[in-house]
Amino acid sequence: MIRHPNRFTMVALSALLAAANSAHAADAASGTDALPAPGPARKVSIPVAQDKLLPNGLRVVVARRTATPLVSVALYVRSGAEIDPPSLAGLTDLTAGLLDQGTTTRSAPQIAEAADALGGSLGTGAGFDASQVSISVTTPKLAAAIDLLADVTRNPAFAPEEIERERKQMLDDLRVALSQPGSIARFVAARAVYGDGAYGHPAGGTPASLPRIQRDDIVKLHDTFYRPDNATLVFAGDIDLERAVQLAERSFGDWKAPATALPSPPVGQGVRALPPTIAIDLPGTGQAAVTAVHAGIARSSAEFYPGIVADAVLGGSYSARLSEEIRIKRGLSYGARSALDTRRQAGSFGGSAQTKNSSAVEVAGLLLGEFERLSSAPPDADELAARKATLSGNFGFSLETTRGLLGQVANLAVYGLPLDELAHYLDKVQAVTADQVRTFALAHLGHDGMSVIVAGDAQQFGDALGKAYPKSERFTIAALDLDSPTLKPAAK
Amino acid sequence: MLRRILAGLCLGIVACAAAGAADTLTIPPIAFKQRTLANGLQVIAIEDHTSPTVAVQVWYHVGSKDDPAGRSGFAHLFEHLMFKATKHLKAEQFDRLTEDVGGHNNASTNDDFTNYYEAVPSNHLQRLLWAEAERMAYLTVDAASFKSERAVVEEELRQRVLASPYGRLFNAVPKDSYQVHPYKRPGIGSIEELEAASLDDVIAFHKTYYRPDYATLIVAGDFDPAELDKWVDAYFAPLQKPASAIPRVTAVEPKWSEDRRYSEHGPNVPLPAVVLAWLGPPARSADDAALSIASALLSNGDSSRLHQALVYRQQIAQRVNFDASAQADNGLITAFAILASGHQPAEAEQAILAEVRKLATEPIAPAELEKVKTKLLTQALSQLQTAEGKAFAVGEAVLLKGDASAANSDLEALQAVSAEDVQRVVKQYVIDAHRVTIDYTQQAGKPAAPPKAAKGAAK
Repeated sequence: MIRHPNRFTMVALSALLAAANSAHAADAASGTDALPAPGPARKVSIPVAQDKLLPNGLRVVVARRTATPLVSVALYVRSGAEIDPPSLAGLTDLTAGLLDQGTTTRSAPQIAEAADALGGSLGTGAGFDASQVSISVTTPKLAAAIDLLADVTRNPAFAPEEIERERKQMLDDLRVALSQPGSIARFVAARAVYGDGAYGHPAGGTPASLPRIQRDDIVKLHDTFYRPDNATLVFAGDIDLERAVQLAERSFGDWKAPATALPSPPVGQGVRALPPTIAIDLPGTGQAAVTAVHAGIARSSAEFYPGIVADAVLGGSYSARLSEEIRIKRGLSYGARSALDTRRQAGSFGGSAQTKNSSAVEVAGLLLGEFERLSSAPPDADELAARKATLSGNFGFSLETTRGLLGQVANLAVYGLPLDELAHYLDKVQAVTADQVRTFALAHLGHDGMSVIVAGDAQQFGDALGKAYPKSERFTIAALDLDSPTLKPAAK
Repeated sequence: MLRRILAGLCLGIVACAAAGAADTLTIPPIAFKQRTLANGLQVIAIEDHTSPTVAVQVWYHVGSKDDPAGRSGFAHLFEHLMFKATKHLKAEQFDRLTEDVGGHNNASTNDDFTNYYEAVPSNHLQRLLWAEAERMAYLTVDAASFKSERAVVEEELRQRVLASPYGRLFNAVPKDSYQVHPYKRPGIGSIEELEAASLDDVIAFHKTYYRPDYATLIVAGDFDPAELDKWVDAYFAPLQKPASAIPRVTAVEPKWSEDRRYSEHGPNVPLPAVVLAWLGPPARSADDAALSIASALLSNGDSSRLHQALVYRQQIAQRVNFDASAQADNGLITAFAILASGHQPAEAEQAILAEVRKLATEPIAPAELEKVKTKLLTQALSQLQTAEGKAFAVGEAVLLKGDASAANSDLEALQAVSAEDVQRVVKQYVIDAHRVTIDYTQQAGKPAAPPKAAKGAAK
């Protein structure tokens, strides 16, 4: 049991941030009854990321952090679940999941054995916009780890028995996800925002789509998208660019891109087909997951920094507005948060909380009320400074571990953003004005296009929800078709 | 190729390069200094200037096992209330001192301890020390805060136990396993017993357990040692050590004299599950390291024995885990499996037992032993990257083993474990001991929502 669920991976930094606390410091006089004032802030040092393009088109990116003899490394293919054909949701994730389940020279158990012996674990999978294979090892094991990464990326066997095994595991994972209100609400939210677009389906597939996937579909996807000119190898930790390039050349240097052009990705944002309010009935579950979500921005948008600051003010931390109103003031949830999801072509913005079933409608109203408040007036200076400090602090803490650093740099690399963005992050956060926050909220949390989704035991909230939101529709979990933009099976 | 290098306190990871040459890497021990104030407060300092941040943690030697009778969940509810008002701080002012300046805070309640932890830009250290001393001495929760925070804890219970497919099972494991020890009560409590708690209980609990002589202050990161000592003396030294003795749990779980079996159910169980539990030794036992290695051989990584047998080869489990929990008193050794669809708890139970027997009786290859040692040390190195990670390692060592230096010596002990040690502890605590078996299935009369896979698959 912890006080509140953590949204961010880890820890703190300072710089720029001391100002936020001056109001409280004024309370302090001297002696032990008074809160002492903060000392002068020390500057945070931000690692520099560098890159090099190999002749075959593979981009190598390095962010150096020498404090510990560890390196986290990941190979990203810059295509993710958005390339799933419409009837084959989960194909890209299944393909990535199969990479370490056997290559032309090693069986799945041999690969697992090799990774564990290096002290790491291979992580494979696909989300939207990227597929990845990653591992963290100590520096003496790095060369062998890169060999392994290259083998599984380039030479997967896709043996029929491994495909069946992986498919069954994904179906079982899905069963578990579909028994939890939170994951059900997230699946439905994607359909609500992206409609029939390529971002609308679950990346892990659906109970109906996974059984349809054939070995040929997997092989074809791998042949088409796993190519050096669509890939980025990112290192974070105790390594420099020269050594990283050397390792990349050795294991990936003779990887050749096919002569054919890389297909352009399908359109992520589609046409929406859902009513503004949706209830999903999961009888017997102990809470309702309430989500309110709206179309947002792409990662490359000029509004990115106003967006993350707006997210920080709305619900990026324990002290932010959603938590303040829903948890601290009213005791309605263990955690209420906002989420700004920025993808290559589009994105979403919204908030969510789990609450007892009977409070679901009240929580939905509170979410929408906070959206309205942020859209109608700019945050005051103290609040804005405090939430920028939280955001900047979390950024600094993320750079203290190789995995956190990898995540920050990989996000820039995968989306083709300049790597020196890392060095400008803190300044760009500070530069966001209160009015930019309000304008962002007005554009991306407005009533038009807002969807409210409640997944839970509908017997306890369904009628009240229908009354509060007349344009609502109820689905049972058994009849929910996530392959369909209407959530209903296509007419036969 | 098996080598162990222990240079002074340094730990060796033996790395075998492709060519066969060995590279060695050392994990430097956590360098800490400790002292005890006259009022009994233990203070541990870990200087590390890698980042301009500092972690501040206060670990109280009170946990869920100390929940008052009829008040299960109370120690945890109390933890939440430590963020409310004190004599000189407003409710939630800890968040102003941390989140608002680029830091973070949290707290957790374990069976044996309750820890409060923050990390902040290092120029805020003095303020945090002041504030931690303040809430150790002068908590002043009001009725409104108490009620609303209790409602939050009830939502936490719903989220963890009632709205999570395996929450009821995890809650049932200690309840079904322990016969005597208060570990048997769920740390999260029950709605009824949380509702029975009063503001008077809060005041009494703070007075009884929140005191300098049963607390450990850990500061790790970017600080000046002389300044730290000065501030600790200024804010913590004046706090009074109560004259009364602190109540301690003295119950000892007896060796189990027979196997026991339980069935638990939930309204939304997507796949059945099974837990096998045995009674382990206290964390300070010399057998702790061998049990950690045994657990890693069985379930750390995709190449581990249980994963290979149940998930990969037999395909009867969706996931499987084996863990010997480190607790101050006798902890549980548990094996846990979620079944793959179409399979039943008894299949996983038999397969787990077969693998455990094999581990106890058939030779363990030196390379396999070396593999899990490398893996555990790499995981430790990863945890020790941050000052906060070091503070957690030291805190657990103090609270569970009674000795801060165990944070370093435990890593050495792992390296020293032999195949014979592993087989001896598996025989002693698992094979030759009685166990509790818990099946977890869908409640009768309410079938879990059937996934539509069946229809889709027909195609």
